[in-house]
Amino acid sequence: MSASSSTAVLGRLLRSAETLSHVAVWFGGALTLASVFLIGFDVIARKFFGFTTGGADELSGYAFAISTTWALAFVVLQRGNVRVDVLYQHLPVRLAALLDWISLVALAVFMVILTYYASFVAQTSWVQNSAANTPLGTPLWVPQGLWLIGLVWMCLVLTLMLIRASVALVTGDLAAIKALCGVRSSEEEALDEAIAGERLVRGDVA
Amino acid sequence: MIATAMVLLLVLIGLSIPVGAALGVLGLLLDPLFSMLPLTRAIGELAWSSNTEFLLVAIPLFIMLGEILLRAGIAESMYGAMSLWLSWLPGGLMHANIGASTLFAATSGSSVATAATVGTVAIPQIKRYGYNEPLFLGSIAAGGTLGILIPPSINLVIYGVLTNSSVPQLYLAGFIPGFALAALFMLTVIVACLVKPEWGGQRISASWSERFSSLKHLLPPLFIFVMVVGSIYAGLATPTEAAALGVLGALALAAGFRRLTLRMLREAVEGTMRATAMIMLIVIAAGFLNFVMAATGLTESLTSSIGGLGLSPGWMLVVVVVFYVILGCFMETLSMMIVTIPIVTPIMTGLGYDAIWLGIVIVVLVETALITPPVGMNLFVVQSLRKGGSLNAVIVGSLPFVFALFLMVLLLALFPDLALWLPRVMAE
Repeated sequence: MSASSSTAVLGRLLRSAETLSHVAVWFGGALTLASVFLIGFDVIARKFFGFTTGGADELSGYAFAISTTWALAFVVLQRGNVRVDVLYQHLPVRLAALLDWISLVALAVFMVILTYYASFVAQTSWVQNSAANTPLGTPLWVPQGLWLIGLVWMCLVLTLMLIRASVALVTGDLAAIKALCGVRSSEEEALDEAIAGERLVRGDVA
Repeated sequence: MIATAMVLLLVLIGLSIPVGAALGVLGLLLDPLFSMLPLTRAIGELAWSSNTEFLLVAIPLFIMLGEILLRAGIAESMYGAMSLWLSWLPGGLMHANIGASTLFAATSGSSVATAATVGTVAIPQIKRYGYNEPLFLGSIAAGGTLGILIPPSINLVIYGVLTNSSVPQLYLAGFIPGFALAALFMLTVIVACLVKPEWGGQRISASWSERFSSLKHLLPPLFIFVMVVGSIYAGLATPTEAAALGVLGALALAAGFRRLTLRMLREAVEGTMRATAMIMLIVIAAGFLNFVMAATGLTESLTSSIGGLGLSPGWMLVVVVVFYVILGCFMETLSMMIVTIPIVTPIMTGLGYDAIWLGIVIVVLVETALITPPVGMNLFVVQSLRKGGSLNAVIVGSLPFVFALFLMVLLLALFPDLALWLPRVMAE
């Protein structure tokens, strides 16, 4: 397989990863919305009908954890993680590309170690059949397993990005590195905010 | 040990490694360097417990509240109402900028969103009424910063979690300084326009009947405010539950204004999850780092060595202010808070400062960071809204408001009761 066809394959894989991460975000968002309704119902029921559903806090905690890890891959693909670019922005392109690569490596190292030890958390709950110390007695491996899936997916996406970035670094394709994992400057970020703000105020007319 | 950790942190951050990863990697490095026990093994449990913490569930919910409310289509009419009530003051619509920001701040926990929304409506008015452009832009950038001081505030939730202080008390403490700061901003505009009347643009006149009929446009934000903040102090709801009620209210408003579509909901959800995951990665990594630092005794040696400098509480406060102002020039504000608060708060409370009061002071300093160059998120947002012109205009125009913010810190130092009176009275 030639170099160009292998980058084409990588590109396709990355695009599929992006689509899947997008879907994962909607799923996480749906979970969060479900928490909203559950908590809201709990408060209203407690106040006006004098009963409590019990477990709204526990379940929304699980929903929070799952939706967080399921959105991690989306954030990294969108280059949404905060980076301090005080030095970065003054560096020549080559050096900046190297820093982009190092940043990706550092993030991958941290995420892989986190995921590795998080897998023990879920595994222990599974083996010991642990239940939450609450009225619901939730079998903990269920939410922890879903939470872990998000972390594992994040690691897979990071691996894919790292391979792509390494290829680009070796072949000197600096533009590809920047597009994949370069710093979104604060200005870029602010422009997005501003565009969003404008569209919001003007409404969804377009 | 302290020197090694500091150098490592500076190198990691300087290499532009994402803040969350930098903190996490620092924790991973400090563990084998300084600890007898393998601390890293605890990272899974630590991450799980902070990621299911019910108080932190307030973060995605407050972000979602803002995202939905922004899309509910209430900004323009609210700004119009504010301008009818406030534009007779010297400086005209600049007071509407600050007033609308204040009201928006009372429904939203974010400063950047506040500046983006008010700015979109306000900026076209500069040319129309002949305002001094820099000052007008500055009033939007500065007004926007009120978003994180006036409750509800995401930053105060994070401060509460990091320092184990009560979020309802922090919210109460934020009220008076928040409104006082809005008043100081308006005073800044008035003083500037009395000195240079030509900056104030043409007078806009409004009749009383127009004014009163415009009041109905202020009801939607008021409704959300009462629902969120009211339910906390009526003892109905915890901050997280109040946030959930707020989201329900915002959904109802959006439906009422016929803006509730699947597409709108999808965009709101994407924005929410993106911000949440970004913040939580930093929170989880910082939680792990703090655990390592505490277990290796780094936290204690750091606080005791700073305490050993023998600075008086007053001087220590000056050091903290300077520290945040300098750091705030370069760092994104939320990461700055998460990184520094676990170190700064124990030092300051050890010197006798109140943790609630300190939270408010730090948030005011964070507001300053939002409008100080070279990295000031609100400056950039306002600049991008105007499309063209130099960023310098926004920076120069924000400068008077930076002084107002410093004045607020000074007032808080001289009269701590500005923050502490309301929580005390409510406790009785």
